[in-house]
Amino acid sequence: MKKVLCALLALALLGSAALAEEISLKVWGSQEDQELLAELCEAFAAEHPENEWTFTYGVVGEADAKTRYLEDPAAAADVFSYPDDQIIDLVNADALYEVTRDLDAIVAANTPGSIQAASVNGVLYGYPMTADNGYFLYYDKSVLTEEDVQTLDGILAAANAAGKQVQMDISNGWYLASFFLGNGCTLGLDEDGRQVCDFNSPAGLAAAEAVRAFCNDPAFTPGDDSFLMGAIGDSVCAGVSGTWCAEAISEKLGENYGACKLPTFTVDGEQVQMGSFLGCKILGVNTQTAHPVEAMMLAEYLTSEEAQVRRFEVRGYGPSNIAAASSEAVAADPALSALAAQSAYAISQQVLAGFWTPAEALGAEFEAHSTADLQGLLDQFVAQATEG
Amino acid sequence: MKMASGRRRRLSFLLHALLAALALLWMIPVFWLLLSSFRAEPGAYTPYLWPKGFTLDNYARLFTDTRLFNFPRWFGNTLLVAVCSCLITTVLTLMVAYVYSRLRFKSRRALMNASLVLGMFPGFMSMIAIYHFLKAVGLDQTLLALILVYSGGAALNYHIAKGFFDTIPKALDEAATLDGASKSVIFWRIILPNARPIVVNTAINAFIAPWCDFIFVSVIMKDNYDNYTVAKGLYTMVDKANIYDWYTAFCAAAVLIAVPIVLLFIRLQSFYVSGVTSGSVKG
Amino acid sequence: MQKAKQCLLRRLREADASARLSCAVMGLGCLRHGQVAKGLLYLAAEGLFIAYMACFGGRYLAKFGTLGDTAQARVWSEELQIYQRIPGDNSMLILLYSVLSIALCVLFVVIWRMNLLSACRACERARAGEKQPSLRVEARALLDERFHVTLLSAPMVSLLLFTVLPIVFMVLIAFTNFDADHQPPGSLFTWTGMTNVTDVFLGNAVKTRTFFGIFGWTMVWAVLATFTNYIFGLLLAVVINNKLVKAKKTWRTLFIIPVAIPQFVSLLLISRALEPSGAINVALMELGWIDAPLPFLLDERLARMAVVVINMWIGIPYTMMTFSGVLMNIPSELYESAEMDGAGPVRRFFSITLPYMVFVTTPQTITTFVANINNFNVIYLLTAGGPFSLDYYQAGKTDLLVTWLYKLTVDHHDYALASTIGIFIFMLVSLCSLAVYNRSRAVRKEDMFQ
Repeated sequence: MKKVLCALLALALLGSAALAEEISLKVWGSQEDQELLAELCEAFAAEHPENEWTFTYGVVGEADAKTRYLEDPAAAADVFSYPDDQIIDLVNADALYEVTRDLDAIVAANTPGSIQAASVNGVLYGYPMTADNGYFLYYDKSVLTEEDVQTLDGILAAANAAGKQVQMDISNGWYLASFFLGNGCTLGLDEDGRQVCDFNSPAGLAAAEAVRAFCNDPAFTPGDDSFLMGAIGDSVCAGVSGTWCAEAISEKLGENYGACKLPTFTVDGEQVQMGSFLGCKILGVNTQTAHPVEAMMLAEYLTSEEAQVRRFEVRGYGPSNIAAASSEAVAADPALSALAAQSAYAISQQVLAGFWTPAEALGAEFEAHSTADLQGLLDQFVAQATEG
Repeated sequence: MKMASGRRRRLSFLLHALLAALALLWMIPVFWLLLSSFRAEPGAYTPYLWPKGFTLDNYARLFTDTRLFNFPRWFGNTLLVAVCSCLITTVLTLMVAYVYSRLRFKSRRALMNASLVLGMFPGFMSMIAIYHFLKAVGLDQTLLALILVYSGGAALNYHIAKGFFDTIPKALDEAATLDGASKSVIFWRIILPNARPIVVNTAINAFIAPWCDFIFVSVIMKDNYDNYTVAKGLYTMVDKANIYDWYTAFCAAAVLIAVPIVLLFIRLQSFYVSGVTSGSVKG
Repeated sequence: MQKAKQCLLRRLREADASARLSCAVMGLGCLRHGQVAKGLLYLAAEGLFIAYMACFGGRYLAKFGTLGDTAQARVWSEELQIYQRIPGDNSMLILLYSVLSIALCVLFVVIWRMNLLSACRACERARAGEKQPSLRVEARALLDERFHVTLLSAPMVSLLLFTVLPIVFMVLIAFTNFDADHQPPGSLFTWTGMTNVTDVFLGNAVKTRTFFGIFGWTMVWAVLATFTNYIFGLLLAVVINNKLVKAKKTWRTLFIIPVAIPQFVSLLLISRALEPSGAINVALMELGWIDAPLPFLLDERLARMAVVVINMWIGIPYTMMTFSGVLMNIPSELYESAEMDGAGPVRRFFSITLPYMVFVTTPQTITTFVANINNFNVIYLLTAGGPFSLDYYQAGKTDLLVTWLYKLTVDHHDYALASTIGIFIFMLVSLCSLAVYNRSRAVRKEDMFQ
């Protein structure tokens, strides 16, 4: 009996092998994700024995995806990951297949924010993979209490009392925007895909005054992620950054490791919650691929609940999948839960490339303690950021 | 005579002191790099200047932990590309310089002016075009393509060598011509041996280029991780996702890259001296 | 030229049928008169050219006028449930390969003309009863009287492929609308004439201001960077080469070590050290020289000073190395005779060393100057153009034209604008340097020291 079964099985295998179509797909991912990517692709191949799969992996990090793609679309990967701030340029170049198969299931499975981030004009252009490209507050529990970190004033007062500093990379438009977004300013795109920005409104001016006050506080220090990771626990007691710093900072602070949503800041005597961007990494299917349907199947699998759980376990990335995001393990991660708390005040990043340089210039003015007329600076900034 | 030797000694002391001070100034960033490469604590920033602990792990890690960053392989790639493009560039540059310095022909001035002008176009503007040309002949993402790209500009950098050839007395050529030597023989047998300092100079500059470029290599290699050069590979080490863990190893790698270049320089420097002794032959 | 053409025509008319037939079948004239190898080479060249045009070049050249007419299309497929894509034209590849094909056409015409000349010459030789030179004899000429052709052919081919054709390509892009909204494969771009030029120089006040602001700083930078390196590099080389200095090799090596570290590493380190919380500020504060961190990278003047100083750190070892080589080869007789005339070290420096160095290095200095105008690495890696300014369009106060162009292409994909500005700089710089170069003593009297 066993023998017959074996023979039947072998026959079935042979039959399927004969029918199997050879599908070769190229996948791009960043260098540190390669191993996981290969593991997930193998798992996908095992689930779909009807085809014979050959995967090739290319090392192109999310940040470079658009540049490398546009240089030579034909040589780009069939399935590649990109951050949501590149989606507009990629859609303009018709680089991405629309998600049309299993659309409802994918929309239902992922957080609304991540679906919005992966959409342009209501059309979904990719499979949300992570939802952790945002920022929040890290702090040193030995200096700041949970009450202190509720307000920026509280943080600064405690820091000054302890002779410590508070870090925020104000000369980076990504972080700078949090004050303006918190005070109700608009940053987005109109129907023609042009940048809309009203940071020079009265609300924007009030936010800018708050930034200036913050930068002029003796406890304020500028500096990038590397500075924060090196200095927190020593000269710095709190700083704003994202999940990519979590491992280093928790190692550094040990028991005193704390992470929470961004604080509120004072505008005309009232407390206003700081806003933020919430970015996603998205898997896209290249319009130049020879196997669109299979590439879509792979992309869907690579962003499924189990894949996202695995990605969290191995790499610590925050899931965009609702089920994966609500798991206990994710909730127990201080950085990811801080991000989740902040995400209530976050918007998706609908920003064109022209925004960043003027924003950095504006931030640099604050960092250099410039005394220039704020309204003038903001008007100049908005004119530049909405240019072209 | 005694006075003179006293003054000489003072002057010599002054010169050495000046050189020592300057060398110190020049070496500060190098010390800083070395310190960082032996630092035990990770991260790109420390609030203190002197490391708390020292370790060799940063170096060892480059060769043992090749999962993420295949440093040995990239090092090999770069060495291969650097040696090949150094040889090709040196030969081509000297050939061009010799032609413009010694041979007279119709379109010479026009070619020289054209080369001068062409050298002014910013290189990165032509990257994408070069990539597609190489792709059309099936060379994209290969080391050969890189070698070609790095030696492609050789015809434009002949100026210093030509200036040098201009000072080698024509009498040498004329004597050789009388002895029946062809132009080719004159070039290989007479001009080149007299031009060693300039050969060294050209060779070192050509050798350094592949270790430093990360822009061309990104465009040419794209996603082909195995064919990266160290510069491109190292650049990913200081991504925001990797910088904390890998910064000290990044510094260690930079130290290791400097080693072959310094060795080459020490090795080739002796040619400078032979340039001096050959001065008497030239007269 | 006119004369040569008439001459060729007349010679063709007088030559035999095989020479005239060479117009259509290349190499026939040579074959007819026994120059088999040469004839076959010509024939092969024609075959290759025709094959290239038929299989590859013709396709692109045909669309050169419009840069493509069908964009990539979307069609809903009920069966697959996706919007299938139907590939269209890629304007960029059409433009690029058209440029390549046109270059090959020009090359072909040159070879075709050579073929006719050879045919006529062969025919004339046959009539005069002379022996036809074999390929080997002609090849030997390439090592002697035509040696320049041999030496220049390889460099020129690489120059053509890696420099000239890409430049032509980029120049043509300035007359198209290739920007972020017209990216292949999704959309086509096409010829727009002079729109880009008028946009930059007339249409947009911010862009015009940015252009002239950056242009001014680029020039200041190029002058400062070139001459600080030249003067201090020369002085350093002179000091090291002084007879009194011992262990010359060691000194030189010491100065070379910093150069051996790849620039992107050393500049990253220095850039980090210059930050408000960086090593330099920490060190200065610990020494008690300053109370608050110096904003090296935030203040316009400090940042500009910083890049010039750091550039000296990078550049002086190179100039020292070059000058050492040249210094050692100053004919010692020049010094000996000067010493006999009783010239002191200072006078020897000004009357012998300096003129000699200036003579040898003038062309080099001009190229260094140009290299500094395009000095991408130092600026981009050290300050990335910062401190950024709200007065400028996507640029900062230490940005050079070249780093600005880089950002426009890489970050904003605005190739058309970048090319327009690129061409302008290119023309300006090349006119200036051609004038200086051809007036300099080293070029006009290049035989002076020979």
